[in-house]
Amino acid sequence: MSGDKNLNIDLELPFGSKRIAEIVFDVLRVDEEPRRSGVCKKLTLEDTLIKVNFSGSLTRQLRTALNNFFEKVDLITETIEVIGLPKTESYSYY
Amino acid sequence: MVIAIGFEGSANKLGVGIVKDSVVLANPRITYITPPGEGFMPKETAQHHRQHVLSVLKKALSEAKIQTKDIDVVCYTKGPGMGAPLATVAIVARTVAQLWNKPILGVNHCIGHIEMGRLITGAKNPTVLYVSGGNTQIIAYARKRYRIFGETIDIAVGNCLDRFARVLKISNDPSPGYNIEQLAKKGEKYVPLPYCVKGMDVSFSGILSYMEDRTDNLLKEGYTPEDLCFSLQETIFAMLVETTERALAHCNSSEVLIVGGVGCNLRLQEMMSVMCEERGAKLFATDERFCIDNGVMIAHAGAEMFRSGTIMKWEDSTVTQRYRTDEVETTWRDD
Repeated sequence: MSGDKNLNIDLELPFGSKRIAEIVFDVLRVDEEPRRSGVCKKLTLEDTLIKVNFSGSLTRQLRTALNNFFEKVDLITETIEVIGLPKTESYSYY
Repeated sequence: MVIAIGFEGSANKLGVGIVKDSVVLANPRITYITPPGEGFMPKETAQHHRQHVLSVLKKALSEAKIQTKDIDVVCYTKGPGMGAPLATVAIVARTVAQLWNKPILGVNHCIGHIEMGRLITGAKNPTVLYVSGGNTQIIAYARKRYRIFGETIDIAVGNCLDRFARVLKISNDPSPGYNIEQLAKKGEKYVPLPYCVKGMDVSFSGILSYMEDRTDNLLKEGYTPEDLCFSLQETIFAMLVETTERALAHCNSSEVLIVGGVGCNLRLQEMMSVMCEERGAKLFATDERFCIDNGVMIAHAGAEMFRSGTIMKWEDSTVTQRYRTDEVETTWRDD
């Protein structure tokens, strides 16, 4: 397959509240995709919905990126379950 | 008053520590232990941290008996270390910072070791030998930076020991270095090994290859595994003491501090103390609770940064595999 990123995956992740969606989005957006992953990831936040687009040229690479992404989302939501809901409606230390 | 929580997971140790005004409130830690003959790989190590990070966090919070609203700053290891384990732990640090609405600070792992060592031992301005599985550096403080006087030009001293343990299929529990140390106590016959000091720098990969190539034959010739452990330790520790001595003399310092996982090796401490006595210097070292990677070292170094006004932007709460000790300005030191 050619080098251009012609494979696309679009995901939509709904969350229980706007603040939770915002936290998950903020935690995720900091990390860039590893340079050698060959995948481009675009994250957007729309109210309680996180939208993400993965594009790449190899299905193998897309699968890895997708797996890693879900691992991270799971870890964040598990952390919220363990620690409890956010104390404030916004974050003061950007 | 500063209460800080620190997350550490740059290698196979996972720890969460809480400090209040330089007093350790909690410091639980678990280690990812691989079978004899095997090292730890990034992916599996990250998986281990992912599985255990929340239980270690819960343990730290319950041991410290503090209210999360009283925490002033959330600290995590920014680097250096293995990418995947670092990233896993950073995600949890970022999430709790958001949930508690607290500022977040990324801490240099090496700085964590040094500040923890100074806190626990009370050393004021020591020449530091930082020896672990991933790092080997001789460090001294000058004008707002910890400057690297000498370092390994290839693998870390702990990496050399760990990989030699794999050759002999020595157990990785509690750590390969500890088990080598115990075997070495029973060693009697010294095998001459290459001695690789290059100026202020040291090299261990050639010594490791030498051992890897010859171990089978040496065992057949009548040397015991104990003899080999003894010979390796004596040789590589002598190299570290030599370079530390030179840095000590150069800086006119009267204190030596050993930090990092290899630093809890009592034979290394003993050899260093002989050198220190000859020079009228004082040796400072800590035991395995604080030598080996832990959460409190990150919490304490982060608390020092926080007190001196360091602020990190949210976008910068990333991790990096390479992060040199001398990249950090020590805003918390005035000398």
